[in-house]
Amino acid sequence: MHDAIEVENLKVRYRSKKGKMVDAVQGLSFAVSPGEVVGFLGPNGAGKSSTLKALMGFVRPAEGRCEVFGLAAGSLEAKKRIGYLPEVAMYYPYLTPIETLFLYGELQGLRGRALKEEAHRLLELVGLKGSEKKLNKSLSKGMLQRVGIAQSLLGSPDLLILDEVTSGLDPVGRKELRHLLKERQKAGATLFFSSHELAEVDMLCDRILLINNGRLVEERLMAPLKDELRNYSIVFSGSAVLHDLTQEIESLADGQIRARFSAKEQLVEAISRLQTSGAKLLDVVSQEGSLEQYFIETIEGAA
Amino acid sequence: MKFRVYKALARGVFLESLRRKDLWVVAILGFLILMGASALGFFGVQGLQVFVKDLAVTVLGAFSTIVAILTSTRMLPEEIKQRTLYPLLSRPITRLDLLIGKLVGSILVTWMSFLILAALTALALFGFGVSFELIMLQYIVAKMMGLALVCAFGLTLSIYMTPAAASTTGFIFTFGSALIIRGLTSGYEHAGPGMQFLFKFLNAVLPQFTLFDLGGRAANVGWAPVPLWVMGFLLGYWLLYSSGLVAIAWTRFQRKAI
Repeated sequence: MHDAIEVENLKVRYRSKKGKMVDAVQGLSFAVSPGEVVGFLGPNGAGKSSTLKALMGFVRPAEGRCEVFGLAAGSLEAKKRIGYLPEVAMYYPYLTPIETLFLYGELQGLRGRALKEEAHRLLELVGLKGSEKKLNKSLSKGMLQRVGIAQSLLGSPDLLILDEVTSGLDPVGRKELRHLLKERQKAGATLFFSSHELAEVDMLCDRILLINNGRLVEERLMAPLKDELRNYSIVFSGSAVLHDLTQEIESLADGQIRARFSAKEQLVEAISRLQTSGAKLLDVVSQEGSLEQYFIETIEGAA
Repeated sequence: MKFRVYKALARGVFLESLRRKDLWVVAILGFLILMGASALGFFGVQGLQVFVKDLAVTVLGAFSTIVAILTSTRMLPEEIKQRTLYPLLSRPITRLDLLIGKLVGSILVTWMSFLILAALTALALFGFGVSFELIMLQYIVAKMMGLALVCAFGLTLSIYMTPAAASTTGFIFTFGSALIIRGLTSGYEHAGPGMQFLFKFLNAVLPQFTLFDLGGRAANVGWAPVPLWVMGFLLGYWLLYSSGLVAIAWTRFQRKAI
């Protein structure tokens, strides 16, 4: 069985406005399995959109290989299986959302009643019921993004490639989008998306790929990463030797002490020592780590 | 299947153009022509049929050519600028399909504008008591083929140039077509063998928009229609030349990073 996405030693090169050749992506390799939800992260100008464009066949790789379900990226057969949401989605200002979906649906090969029903269903799904016949130019940025999401879902594609998917959406919109994407995943679709919204990445992804300057910096599974980033703290009274486990020990009021640990093993050992020394354990807190902090540190470390 | 793709793309172009009120501008221009002609009638020039017809076909030709160039040269650059090209090309269609669909769309818009103007002009001419002759119908058919060729030319230019440069070049080659061809012919007569070959080559490759302009014949009263083989030749020239232009456009567009 083929991977949903397979990228090998991808190089994307652009001619800058000054005429110089610029490497937007430099030897990038990764794979995405069918059914996976993968977040594609990186700072502005890292090469995310260029990679996605290469996957769609919008730019020709200077070197390397891009495949979608074993088919050459950009080929008609590959595009039949992809739903794509471009970064900063713009749609014909003088068409309505329903006409926009009819247009893309027909290009996708849908027609007649099936297209009509799917277009209406998708607009309802993205919360645009009642706005089907307004001109796109009168819609807000968030509503246009919803039109974009709806068009990407036409024909129930096996792979969704979404560039800055949450752009322009309000918190309610983001929640609805999360739900929608999870539904698509349950239906067996593969999701590959770039986003600057780390909270969304945190809630949606099985795995993240972190790129900077066109190169893969890190590739992590979300579950172990979350464990790694999680912090633990205990509050106790009495005395125990914990200095070899953590440096983060602070005295609180009423003779209470708080100690923070970065690993679960340290926490377990600390609790065990408290019990042995007769100290009184008052509180145990497990706190989610900051993905943002991880992102910044990793990018800075790679720079 | 391909036909459906072209139809969908062309319908999008047409709807956009209709709602952007491009066609309304043309209708207003036509109305002004009508009013102008009525004014001429008011001052009593009913007898000057040739003058009035000549004026009408000149205005008709000029306005519709402007619409053809502006519509065809701005279409793809606008798609790229507004980023509407991405969702289109993410569908299972080729770039050639997109080019043809857009070309069909721009031809439809241009033809619609031309027909609105032609209908209004015919109405104005009817007001003068000018009778409708077969040569007028041939003029309309030939002009429609010529406008379609202008659209293909404009679309091709827009792939290689900025929209402003494409429009300017389009205007030069369409409105200056007669002058350019006359210059080449005259240059050929006075040039050496090497230059003669160049003039001949240029004459062969440059689009001969004037071939499609039967306005001069149509303006005269009582002129016989052109033989059918001429219309057949124009049809062949239009199809062949447009196909060549689309092929030139596609050569560049298929490799263009967007």
